[in-house]
Amino acid sequence: MKGLGKALARTPFAVTSKIGMAKKSTDTEFDEYHRHFTALEQGAEKLIKDSKAFSEAVTNLFTSGASFGSHFATVFQPLASEYDLLDKHPDSEHTIRSVTKYENAMTELRELIGPELELIESRIIGPAKELQSVMKTIRKTITKRDHKLTDYDRFNNSLTKLRDKKEKSLSDEKNLFKLEQDFEIATNEYEYINNALKQDLPRFLMLASQFIDPLFNSFFYMQLNIYYLIFEKMNSFADDAKYDIQNISAAQIAQEYEEKRTDAWQVIENLNIIKRIISVSRMVQATRSGTMNSSSSLGRQSSVATTSSSLSARSAPPVRTPSAAASFKKAAPPPPTSSQAAPPPPYSATSSASSVAATKRAPPPPPPLKPKPKPPVPQIKYVVALYDFEAQAEGDLSFNAGDRIELVEKTQSTEDWWTGRINGVQGVFPGRCF
Amino acid sequence: MSWAGFKKSVNRAGTTLLQKTGQIERTVDREFTEEEAKYRIFEKECQALQKDSKAYWDAMRAMTAAQTRIAETLETFYGAADRTSDGAMAGHAYKRSVDELDTVFNRELDGPFRTTISEPLGKMCAYFPVVNEHISKRNKKLLDYDSARSKLRKLIDKPSEDPTKLPRAQQENDEAKEMFDMLNDQLIAELPQLLDLRVPYFDPSFEAMIRMQAKFAEEGYEKLSSVQRYFADNVRDDYAAGQLDAQVEGILQEMRELSICGGN
Repeated sequence: MKGLGKALARTPFAVTSKIGMAKKSTDTEFDEYHRHFTALEQGAEKLIKDSKAFSEAVTNLFTSGASFGSHFATVFQPLASEYDLLDKHPDSEHTIRSVTKYENAMTELRELIGPELELIESRIIGPAKELQSVMKTIRKTITKRDHKLTDYDRFNNSLTKLRDKKEKSLSDEKNLFKLEQDFEIATNEYEYINNALKQDLPRFLMLASQFIDPLFNSFFYMQLNIYYLIFEKMNSFADDAKYDIQNISAAQIAQEYEEKRTDAWQVIENLNIIKRIISVSRMVQATRSGTMNSSSSLGRQSSVATTSSSLSARSAPPVRTPSAAASFKKAAPPPPTSSQAAPPPPYSATSSASSVAATKRAPPPPPPLKPKPKPPVPQIKYVVALYDFEAQAEGDLSFNAGDRIELVEKTQSTEDWWTGRINGVQGVFPGRCF
Repeated sequence: MSWAGFKKSVNRAGTTLLQKTGQIERTVDREFTEEEAKYRIFEKECQALQKDSKAYWDAMRAMTAAQTRIAETLETFYGAADRTSDGAMAGHAYKRSVDELDTVFNRELDGPFRTTISEPLGKMCAYFPVVNEHISKRNKKLLDYDSARSKLRKLIDKPSEDPTKLPRAQQENDEAKEMFDMLNDQLIAELPQLLDLRVPYFDPSFEAMIRMQAKFAEEGYEKLSSVQRYFADNVRDDYAAGQLDAQVEGILQEMRELSICGGN
């Protein structure tokens, strides 16, 4: 109740001083310290917040790192009834052998990091919180000083007003006396607290910067240690698993990745099951019509041709492969030479993958005959070149105007690259030369 | 949903019910079931990988970002007293090195991470919905086929008076079987391929990931340890011996003893 009474008494003055009707005294020296103190207060709060963010990030880093390792290991281990992955993918042997080690390394790392995090919690965040609580009490003192200052100004103002009054009544005299007393008390209180602050705040500020030194040093070593732990673990893992991790720039990592990237991407792209289904009945129809009137096909050759074309696509410069893959679209299903159950033409790519797959499975009813893929002799299509064309990259086909080129693969668009054969050489060439 | 689609789904619901009660025989395709089970594992693993790799990367970013913010805060602390003290110098060096680390991370490692980890994973995960669509389509067509076949059997067992009924049922059965077989065969043939291809597909990512992790740690360690030069010689040992903590505690105690902390 006392506090409430005081607050009420102070309110009018707060209002009048805000609108400039009453004089407010300032103490520049104190204000300077106060500014620093406020900055420190915010600093402490930020420090706590960021230290927490940091240690959370580290926790996340290691949990997700371990989890990534274990999932990666699962992907590279035989699923359910799969048998030896090593035999099937000799190229990936290194990875397959290393994933488990990697998984272990990441898990160990996660274990290792626990104590470090505890250190941050108890040695950094703990003291920082202590500091914050110290600052809170100081803040309280400062608030108190502000109140006392208000009182001081308030009485000071009233007193001057009363003193300046020309004709004082009896009660004015009485008030004057009382005010003088109040003013003196307020002055004393304010002076006392203000001086205390002025004396101690600089000391506190100095202590704060002394405080931050060891704290920062500890924190620094903890951070350094975290990096060191990862660094060391990765090094020992890389040594063990024979990975070259020394002095490689990030750009180089990406580049070498690109080099090692196999044709798996394209092969997957060409699978039928990753193409959206539009209509099953249309797929079936297309399958049928494809197997019945093969001659209407767009000059595409059998699956042999497709296979070789996709092989050539593999060796062709990477820029072009997408267009080659795209050119598979719209191609009609292959003629009866193929053993295929003819994948749905309108939106599927007939690639080596699907045609090889097709030979493995028993085709559903439609196709009447299913011989092994024959050499594509029967329906060789030729195109006559209108212009000369010089090979520009490996896998290109060179020819002169007037040459007859056996078509292996063509699309409806002359903007695409077609695959053809001349003099026993197979390669790709621009369709617009014809 | 279109009317035709609605009709289909109602019919299929009926078939499922009849299958559950044993009225209609259910086709069981072991081969497909196996492949599907494997595929499901793979799908789950890939999704987990995608999530984890993202979390990992975000955590690295958060780590360096938090460090830069901490460095800024340190400057305020030092700024309050003396900008030329040894501590302030060290703080400044620290800020410089974490800034560098943050830049290295964002500028150099982010791109490669995208190409080598997050893009391949994202691409693979993007295939799953389509494959799932194929699988669910296959399951629907299987129901259609089961129901058509049971109708045909019934007609054969109990010939109808209408002579056109049997051929029509036969034709329906054939059509349903054709559709189902097409989808089923495709899945059986290609699911294992998809699974098999995962090895060459993800193989290069592994090495890239290891290298990037190592790179990150190496950069972090190198950049940070250069700050040590600005520390007094005994700091390292003091840290190891827990002296620094004692100092912190001592100063805190001194602070508490200040008269302005008495809360008078």
